[in-house]
Amino acid sequence: MADPKTLYQAEPADARIVEPLDMMTLIYQRRSGITHMVGEPVPQMLEAMGEDAVDAATLAARLAVSFDLGGQDDAVTLITERLEELAELGLVERVTDA
Amino acid sequence: MSGDTPEPNDPIQMPTRRRALMLGAAGVATVVSVRPALAQTAGSVLNCEIPVPGPHGTGMNIDATGNLVAPDTPGSFVATGQKFSGEEVKRALSGQTLPGTTYEQSQAYVNYIRRLQAGQSGFTCFASLQMPR
Repeated sequence: MADPKTLYQAEPADARIVEPLDMMTLIYQRRSGITHMVGEPVPQMLEAMGEDAVDAATLAARLAVSFDLGGQDDAVTLITERLEELAELGLVERVTDA
Repeated sequence: MSGDTPEPNDPIQMPTRRRALMLGAAGVATVVSVRPALAQTAGSVLNCEIPVPGPHGTGMNIDATGNLVAPDTPGSFVATGQKFSGEEVKRALSGQTLPGTTYEQSQAYVNYIRRLQAGQSGFTCFASLQMPR
């Protein structure tokens, strides 16, 4: 289980091409040449992260400004899981504390 | 998807109602990835890169047949690790010259690329150029 305190940082926006396709979004990663077909909440998470290193709670708070996370009490847990998935794909990096 | 998205032109609901964001159920992957080795998409072929030479040939020249040779070999061409896109290499395979090279130099570089083997930088890109569309 991932530590919810882990900081994650998205790749710079110019490292990928994002193409919304109705219900899904295509993310082409220039570095690897891999195209990811992603659904909600991935594009929203990447946008909310910007270029900052954030933990899941910070990201949840940012998303809650624009979106209704209501009823999802475990939002931080779910966001941590999504961040871990994105880290495995290389779309975000785990930032280790110095 | 979400049926409660407020109408964009509804001034009353806009400030208070926010769209629900689905965070995904536990353990459900939200991502499908298409890797270039599998994808015969135009995008992956056009954008992949082949360095001439790859790291295994750093500091060496390339002779007319595409072999890596010592830098002082007569008739060989200096290669600085310049990267060519899949599209440039594809054009070169059909007779054009690689950007920034002379005709003979381009021929040597293309011969080098043809000799790439699995594990060498650029091989996957070159292999994907060979795949039938």
